[in-house]
Amino acid sequence: MKYIFSILFFFVIFHVNASGDNLYQKVLITNAKLAHEASKSLIIALNKNNKIPKKEFKNLVIRWKKVEAIYILSSLDDKYIDTPWYLDMFHGKNENIKVQLNRIIESEENIVKALYKNSHKTINALEYVLYTHDLDNPRVKDIALLISRAMENRFLEILNGYIINENEFLKDNKIGSALLLNSLVESSYKLKEWRVGDVAGITRKYKGKPDNTRSEYYLSGNSVEAIKAILEAHKQIINSNQYEDFSDFAKNYNANKEIALTIKWLNNSFQILSKIKNDNLTGDLAKEFYQSSTNLQNGYYSSLMNKLNFVAKILDADGD
Amino acid sequence: MEINSFNYFLDPSKRIYWVFIFSSLFIALIFLLIKPNYRKVNFSRALWFHPSALLDYCYFLFSAIIKGLILVPIIIGAKEVALLVNKLLIVSFGFQRINSFSYTEIMIMFTLSLFLISDFTRYWLHRFMHKVEWLWELHKVHHSAKVLNPLTLYRVHPIESLLFGFRYSLSVGIVSGVFIYLFGSLINIYDILGVNIISYFFLLLGSNLRHSHIPLSYPIKVEALFISPRQHQIHHSKEHSNYNFGGFLAIWDLLFKTLIFSNSVEKIKIGITKSEMGNYKSILNLLFYPFIAVIRNTKKKLNRF
Repeated sequence: MKYIFSILFFFVIFHVNASGDNLYQKVLITNAKLAHEASKSLIIALNKNNKIPKKEFKNLVIRWKKVEAIYILSSLDDKYIDTPWYLDMFHGKNENIKVQLNRIIESEENIVKALYKNSHKTINALEYVLYTHDLDNPRVKDIALLISRAMENRFLEILNGYIINENEFLKDNKIGSALLLNSLVESSYKLKEWRVGDVAGITRKYKGKPDNTRSEYYLSGNSVEAIKAILEAHKQIINSNQYEDFSDFAKNYNANKEIALTIKWLNNSFQILSKIKNDNLTGDLAKEFYQSSTNLQNGYYSSLMNKLNFVAKILDADGD
Repeated sequence: MEINSFNYFLDPSKRIYWVFIFSSLFIALIFLLIKPNYRKVNFSRALWFHPSALLDYCYFLFSAIIKGLILVPIIIGAKEVALLVNKLLIVSFGFQRINSFSYTEIMIMFTLSLFLISDFTRYWLHRFMHKVEWLWELHKVHHSAKVLNPLTLYRVHPIESLLFGFRYSLSVGIVSGVFIYLFGSLINIYDILGVNIISYFFLLLGSNLRHSHIPLSYPIKVEALFISPRQHQIHHSKEHSNYNFGGFLAIWDLLFKTLIFSNSVEKIKIGITKSEMGNYKSILNLLFYPFIAVIRNTKKKLNRF
């Protein structure tokens, strides 16, 4: 009897670890690795010639957005709280880096000293330099390379961070899944409000004033690709048949219906997004997408509520 | 949906869950060992087969059906309230997330907040049931019990159950909504069998003795914090029904000056005035007399004008 219990115990432990391990390795670590590789490819392309490395930059955007959408490293280790802000300043500090970058490009100051701010070394700064300046100018090219190398280091930092903190994630399945769900909720909010609502003129701030220049990668025309990458990261977490994902975990607290509905809204968002052409996020399709991503966010909240099964109960400790 | 009242004994979220009944019984037996002069009344046939007790048993069977079939479907769930609160907060203040607390800290805060807010709203609704004229007519159903037993808890008018159901949904829903807004999916409670751990321990520590004839009291300093069974029995007396409204905690009574300690009351007469007791002798009386009383009171008021 003792043996049977021991075997069962080890089986359960192994099973729990293996499931977390798969998602953690196949999604979080792999995504970080791919982002790091994308940054290296960009550096190679920049060194090769003076053309805008459009393909490599687009790939970098896609890989980075997948990391950013489900970034939970800051919750595993405080050290990594600010890392995303060092890489991306979309909706971050209210500073005009375009003017600052123009000044740096025009000056003769040593570029290492000139690009002293973290915001100067973000993906947004890189997009601005690549798509509004001429790479034939050696100073512009050097700046682009410096930013790319800084980003490469950050991606390596994230990759190592995920590798080091693997046990922290695996030690408690409950906390791990809660962190993932939190990242999905947050990312779906930013997706609909910042990346679509603000551009399409739906949010309170820009009501009735649609403007494509507000989109995340307006200069390179990668905004829709970025959104697609975010949705793909969501799909990696909630709808994979290659490893035990969040929807499998949600079954433990009877959220099957809610997760199924969320997956439906995720697929619906993909469909609408595929119809949006020329990175145009100001038309009716963008409005449709906004609604669909709102439903997606609500779906996550409903799944979350099922976890709190006590909330649905009506205790009878009343009537005193 | 729970319409089989016997399932109440198997449901940890019910006060008459078998574990709580047994723990209360255990405490009662120890009490009776120490104070043998209370044995006679507690083991008497007159207590357990008193017409009021028999009505409690019958009404308990009946009220479970009413609750399951009519009340629960009407009551908006705490889940819906929580989602709505979270949505309103996002619309009003934008998306926020506090990341500076650990999972354990959030769990402690959430468990404690749920318990405190729930107990606080329970105190106030209970107080309103006594102070607002038409609510008191409904609440008299509960106070019309001449003798007390654990099933007296269920001797409550369906409208009162409905009000307490809304109170639960609103208080738990609002607290959950605020916590979801601030901490997202990281919220959880410390529970035992799905029941808030704090409530569970209070229920385990003899909550069923509140409706009994075991006059268990605590030292005065403890009674200023937690309502003892004796303090609740005092609340069921004719003279002191406007004191000790608290559920688990006495601090609300202390804070709002409605607390009375066990040692300040010697003898109690359970029930309402003699002339009114006759109006609550059957299930039909319990269900319909409050309406008759409310109509009569309203007519009286109108005639005065």
